[in-house]
This record gives sequence, structure tokens and C-alpha cells, in this order.
Amino acid sequence: MEGSDSLEQSGSDQPESQRRRQLDRLGREEAFYQFVNNLSDEDYRLMRDNNLLGTPGEVTEDELFSRLQQIKDGPEQQNNTPSAENAEDPVEPPENSEDPAGGDSLLDWLNTVRRTGNTTRTGHRGNQSWRAVSQTNPNSGDFRFSLEISVNRNLAEQQAAAEGEQEVPEEARGEASGEAGGEASQEAGGEASRGAGGEASREAGGEASREAGGEASREAGGEASREAGGEASREAGGEASGEAEGGASGEARVEASGEARVEASGEAPGEASEESPEVVPDVAPEMALEMASEVQEPVVNAEPPVPMETEVVEEPVVEELAVIVEPEPELEEVVSQEILGEPPSPLAAPLVQPPLSPSPRRGQRRARSRSPEPRRTRARTARSRSPLNLDQLDGLHNPHHVLSSQGPISANAPTVPQVEGSSRTRQHVLSRQSTSDSDVQPSRAGAEPVPDVQNVTSQEGEAASGEGGAAGRRPPTIMLDLQVRRVRPGEYRQRDSIASRTRSRSQNSNNTFLYESERGGFRRTFSRSERAGVRTYVSTIRIPIRRISDAGLGEATSMALQSMIRQIMTGFGELGYLMDSDSDSSDSNRGANTPADLAEALNNTDTTPAAAPAADVDVEPPMAAGVRARTAETDVDESLATAPPASGGRARSRPPISLEEPGSLPFLRLAHFFLLNDDDEDQPQGLTKEQIDNLSMRNFGESDALKTCSVCITEYAEGNKLRKLPCSHEYHVHCIDRWLSENSTCPICRRAVLVSANRESVV
Amino acid sequence: MQRASRLKRELQMLSTEPPPGITCWQTEEKIDDLQAQIVGGTETPYEGGLFSLEIKVPERYPFEPPKIRFLTPIYHPNIDTSGRICHDALKLPPKGAWRPSLNISTVLTSIQLLMAEPNPDDPLMADISSEFKYNKPLFTEKAKKWTQEHAVQKNMGVVDGNKENTPVQKASSRKREAFGAQQHAEEPAKKTCL
Repeated sequence: MEGSDSLEQSGSDQPESQRRRQLDRLGREEAFYQFVNNLSDEDYRLMRDNNLLGTPGEVTEDELFSRLQQIKDGPEQQNNTPSAENAEDPVEPPENSEDPAGGDSLLDWLNTVRRTGNTTRTGHRGNQSWRAVSQTNPNSGDFRFSLEISVNRNLAEQQAAAEGEQEVPEEARGEASGEAGGEASQEAGGEASRGAGGEASREAGGEASREAGGEASREAGGEASREAGGEASREAGGEASGEAEGGASGEARVEASGEARVEASGEAPGEASEESPEVVPDVAPEMALEMASEVQEPVVNAEPPVPMETEVVEEPVVEELAVIVEPEPELEEVVSQEILGEPPSPLAAPLVQPPLSPSPRRGQRRARSRSPEPRRTRARTARSRSPLNLDQLDGLHNPHHVLSSQGPISANAPTVPQVEGSSRTRQHVLSRQSTSDSDVQPSRAGAEPVPDVQNVTSQEGEAASGEGGAAGRRPPTIMLDLQVRRVRPGEYRQRDSIASRTRSRSQNSNNTFLYESERGGFRRTFSRSERAGVRTYVSTIRIPIRRISDAGLGEATSMALQSMIRQIMTGFGELGYLMDSDSDSSDSNRGANTPADLAEALNNTDTTPAAAPAADVDVEPPMAAGVRARTAETDVDESLATAPPASGGRARSRPPISLEEPGSLPFLRLAHFFLLNDDDEDQPQGLTKEQIDNLSMRNFGESDALKTCSVCITEYAEGNKLRKLPCSHEYHVHCIDRWLSENSTCPICRRAVLVSANRESVV
Repeated sequence: MQRASRLKRELQMLSTEPPPGITCWQTEEKIDDLQAQIVGGTETPYEGGLFSLEIKVPERYPFEPPKIRFLTPIYHPNIDTSGRICHDALKLPPKGAWRPSLNISTVLTSIQLLMAEPNPDDPLMADISSEFKYNKPLFTEKAKKWTQEHAVQKNMGVVDGNKENTPVQKASSRKREAFGAQQHAEEPAKKTCL
């Protein structure tokens, strides 16, 4: 004692204040326990899961109470809308306000995110433009961020072709009419994805309109294009349309997950396209788009309103980070083309073919995203993409379409791809669940049925390719979707299911490679498949974020998110390398660039944050953040090679942001790629919330003998909630829950709480 | 977490019924900074010595183990020159065995036990460990020597001596450790017992 005193003299002044502080803290701790004990089970769980309880003594009871109210308010809304998504969407529109802070760092952004909302930001640099959309689902607190970067390679060409596209591809496009749509669509897509179709559409519409509006997407497009309302959706979907200069190819793309984007690149001409769009919309908007594209004329963008995507949030994805890179480059291939092409062909008749079979195809593709039914299907299946097969099938069914499409496509495709050389990275949230796409038209429905896993991928690829091809001119676009979700009980299972899905998918493919590594909760899966000339790379990274929550509110979380994002980016980079090495294509640059771009994009863009609940990243800690990124690139190696424009290929890459010279980048081999995984550190494994909740709980009663919680060394008081572990040891619920969130053994006997859960921790 | 209230209780217990041979007190008014002294066990090379330790209680205590370090130099296979202790109870699972049902008192007791019975199979100081295993007499001799040099009050009354010496030792050892800490900071993980 004395020793301490002597040492402390220097600090002697502080004792008073410190003592006071400690007293305050003790008082707050008491209040905390009281508060916790008075909470109902649901409230307790709610607060715990949202990490709102914080540390005893740090927060006042009032604060806790207000937090509880807040969180409760949020959820209620959600409840109201079973289809949470829908709810979200609505919200989004209003919020769409764009956040200006393009330059904000991601971190800043994350830190500022507080409210639910959706935001969209766009910007461009040189020949690249980016658009970031953030959406938050108030209900679920899921947060989603999508970023799309497009680079115009052949600006000149494109411009020439379609003015809209020109420089800032996306934006340009938007301007160009169709494009606007495109962008919008993307965003819309993203948003849409979440929202039910309807919502999606709205949003899309809303966004589209805004953006578009700004850009005139519509105008461009058409003008006519769309009818407004519908349009929006279409636009959204169709935004793409704008792009196509050339022709239009519409890209219809559905992003797998929720986002379905249809991009129809219509050429500027747009003329009539609109009409088609309309038609399309009904039937298969997307198709229409595509068709349009084929036609090249104007874009039709029919993109149906369907908001395709919608996928959304609900998916299980949660804690995982999945980066899917699907570069499917080579449009050239017939198959892909077909798929893509098909639509186009029909398009050829720019008109409305869409509705018909063609539409189906697309519908399928798109449908996935859009059509409600499809969505569901997809959702289950997995991505919306599955459609590939379907498409093919469809193709069969509609031979003519196919044929036509092929013809055109092939023709186009090759060229187009080259020309554009666009590479697109799309990250979708895999969430296939797309919920709603009410829009979906029949055609889609048809398509949906087929969801093959592989297909999915391929589809995407195709889609991409399609885009590439169709859009041909479309500037390379990189899309990144990040989804952050809260972890909910049972989600882990989903995660597993996702994993399996991925696996199966790859297996099916003719040529597939699957690598999987897992380490300390960090799991990475990489698979590559080749089908019909379309190569698909899928990298899935799962990071349990649950732990992050423990770290604390705010900063910690955002940091965690940041690191996750960084990892994703890294993943892209790696993938890029892989791709490069694999293809040896001149595009290598592309790959490299892409990642870089993304990274930059992230930095630059600010996404908008959205999310309310989610927004509270801090709070959310518990939530798992699922980030899924999917990148789909369409590369046309050949095309590139051929390509047109050499400039195009390279240009793009460079233009984007030349972070590093391709050359400087070391080629990563698969081995390296995987080795990286080993760096992940092991982390203690805790139980999931679900597992914890499954443990028995009771209230301490008078009759019980006096006992003390060995975690807090406090005797139980009547009314205290106790949790009893399988080993019969009891603790305060709030004490043991925290321990179990990171560990899996009983604090007293060290027996594993879950037989299967014990790992090394069981000593 | 429950750190404040729990520490308060722990300190009460430590003052009312401290484990034999162990004393622990709060440094200044800081709740997260404790000091402890462990008396070298009889029939051990540390007999007659009084070893000071520094205890830092992390924010997340008791979900994280307290950080304990010897301030007094000690010649021991599981304690390095900067006073860091290789002991599983001081680490979180899965590598360690810390659990919230442990407390400062029990951890100090286990450290006391570790002093009496080094664990050469999980060494932090390889040289000392092999010496302990293969040349025990030499080890014992050195350990005693260190104890005499650093942990024994050479003068009078144990009580007074303690009061005065402890601070001094701490001061000196702290400097030393500061260096050590810097060096080790860079490779913290590696230093743990292997």
C-alpha cells in the first residue's frame, strides 16, 4: 500500500476527481444492472443483439432507455412490413438525396451513417465515372452499398456512337438518355434489389428519375422512352440502355441478387426504343431492353421496372463477405452470346419482341432479378443468375430468337466486346432472395425455373457479356456491392448453405476449380469455372463480424468494416491477377485496374450511408456484416485482343485509375492467393446468438440458495435473469452472454457449452 | 464491463483475506492499475525474496485476463527479462485458460505456484528452461543469486524495507522494462511461451 502511495504522489491531485468518477461509474453500473434485470426477454435480446447495452457503468440508464426506444421503434416499422424490403424502398426514395461528399473517406462515411436512408452519389474523373448507392433497410438494419465505376475506353467511339456514353460512361450515358437509365438502373437496381419490385421500381424510378432526371436519362432515352413511372423502373433497369451506343445492345442485366439491373443499352437513337420499353416492361422489360440494344437503335430500356434486384437484404449473407468475381469475359463465345444475344436478336426487331420469347430469356436473366417469382426461385437457388441455363433453354424454345440473337450477337458480340472491352465487375449481393419482383412478367417466370447454380454464374457472366456485347460500347464498368447485415439467429446456417451452393455450382460446371480455405472463422472460397467460354471466378470470403461488435461501438466497428472492405478489395486485386494470369490476355491491366478502381471508388465515393440501424454501425456491432461483392467482368479477351481499340482495352484500364502498373503487379498464382488466407489469424470462437439464446434461462427466485455469479462476483438478487449452461453452472445472463459471444466454454468448469462448438478452447 | 464493481469486490476480498504470501493493492486511485507482491516460497530458490508485480486490468475485464508482469527481476524459465509471465491463465482461450471465474487473487496464487514449480516444457526463456531441466543445481544457484540481488531486502525490518525498497526497485525495474517493453512490443506474440 505504502509503496503505491509513494509512487503516486504525482497523481495525488487526481484522486479526488478520480474517486468521484469511480463513484459515478459504480452508480451507473448499479443502474445498468437494474435496467437489465427489468428488461423483458425480448427487449434484452434486442438490445444485446444490437450491442446497445454497452458496458456497465459507461452509459446512464436514461441513455439505455432511449436506446431501447430507438431500437424498438425501428423494428416495429419493419414488422409492419413483412417484406422488409418494401418498407425500405419507400424510405429510400426520399432519402435518396445524394450525398455530396464524394471525397469522403469510407471511414468517415461509415462513421457518419446514422439514419436510414438511401443515398446515391455520382461523380467522375477523367474518363471514368462512378456511382455509389447506399441503402439501408430500416427494418433489418441491413446496409447495402453499391458502387459502380465505369470507364470509357473508347470514348471517342462510344461518344460517336452514343453521345451519352462518352466520357463518363455512366453519367454520360445517363445523359445519353439511356444511360442515365443505366446508371440509375444500377443504382436503382441496387435499391430495387432490395425492395420489392414495386419498391424497387419506385426507387429506381426515383433514383433514376433523379439522376436520370438530372441527366436526362429519359430524355436521352428517350425520350420517350419510358413512361415515366414505369420508366423509372425501366430506366433503372434500363438505364443501361443509354449506353449502348452502338447499339445497342441493351444490356439487361440482372444482377444477381437483388439488383437486377437491366441495362439496356440502347443507343442513343433511342428513338423508338421507348416504345419497346414500354412493351417490354410489361412483358419483359429487360428483354425489351436487350432487344433494343440489338436493334441498336435507341435503347429501349425497357427495363422494366422491375426492379429487379431486390434481392436483397434478407439474405442470409450476413456475416459473410463474399466476393464474387465473375469475369466473364469473353462475350465472344457463342453461348454467352446467345444468351445475351438472343434477346438482342429479337430485339432486332427492336420492337417489342421482348415480350415474347426473347423477353423470357432476358426475362429469365432479368427475370431473376425482377420477376418476383423468379426471384424467389433464384433466391433459393442462389443467385439470380441461374438463368443461364434457362436462357439457353429459352433459346431453344425460341429458336428464332436465339438464332437471331446469336447471329447478331455473335457478330456483335465479338465486335462489341472488343470495342468495348468493357469489363464489368459487378458485385452483387448474392442474395438471391430477391424478393419481389412483382413485375416480373411471365416470361421471366419461365426463365426462372431454371436456376442452375452454375447457370447463375454463367448468367451473370453472360449477362455481363451480353452487356459487353450488346452494349458493346458500354464502357467497362465495375460494380461493387457491399451488404452489411446484422446477424440473426440462424444466419449461420445460411452461410453454410451459401457455401454449399457455391460449391455445387462449381461442381456442375464443366470446368471448375474450387478452392476453399478456412481459418479461424475466416473462410475463403475461390472457384473458377468455365463454361461456354465464359469464365467465372467466385471468391467468397466470410468473416464473422460478430466479434467486432464486442470491440466496441463506433470506431471499432467501422474499422472492422473498413478492414473487411479492404479485404474485399484485396480479393479483387487478387482475382484480377488470377484472371490476368489465366487469360494472359492483354487485359491483364484490366484486372489490376479494376480492383484498384474499386478501391479508389470506395474511397472516393462516399457512399451514402444509409442506414439507420445499420448506420449505427457502432451499435450494430453485433450485427454481422455481410459484405458481398460480386464482380463480374466481362472481358473479351479476344475482343480485346482484337479489339478494337486497343485503346479501348488499355485505355480503360489506364484511365481508370492507374494505381499501379499492371506490370508492377506481381502475378498471383492460385497458390499465392490461397496462401494469403493463411495470414488470417485465428480468433477465438464464440457462440452465435442463436446458440446462446438456446441455452436455458430462468429468473432467480427467493427460494434459491444464495449464489454468486462468478463472472461479476455479485450475488444474485431476486429477479435477476440467470442462464444455465449444460454443465449446470449459472451466471447472470448479461455476464455469460458476453463471455459466450467470444468463447465457447463454461467459465467455471471449462466444459464446452456446445459439444460441437468446442474447439481448442476446450482444454 | 463489470470491471469497476467487480474490481471493487476483488480488492475488498484481497484486503480482508489475502492469499498467503500475497499482497495486492490499488495503485493510487486508479482502479485499473494494481500492484502486488509475492513472497518467495520456502524451499524454492526464491525464498527470502519479495517480488513485486504490476497488474493492469483491461477495460474488458473480467472477459479478458489481467495483464500481470514482474517488476522485480526473477530468474525463471517462464518469466522473461522484462517480467512477462508465460502462464495460460493469463491468456484468453483458445490458447490460454483465462475465464471470468478466475480473479486477481487466484491468478496471483497460480503465479506463486508457477514460481515454485516452473514449467520448462512451455518456456519463455529457453536458456533458463534447459538449465532447469538439465542442470538444476546451476539453475537453483542462479535463481538464488538473482533473488539475493534483486528481491531481498538487505537491511532491516522487513516492513520498512519493503516500503522503501519496493518503490525503488520498481523505479529501476521500470526503466529496464521500458526498454524491454519497447523491444518486445514489436514481437509480442512470438515471445509467448512456445
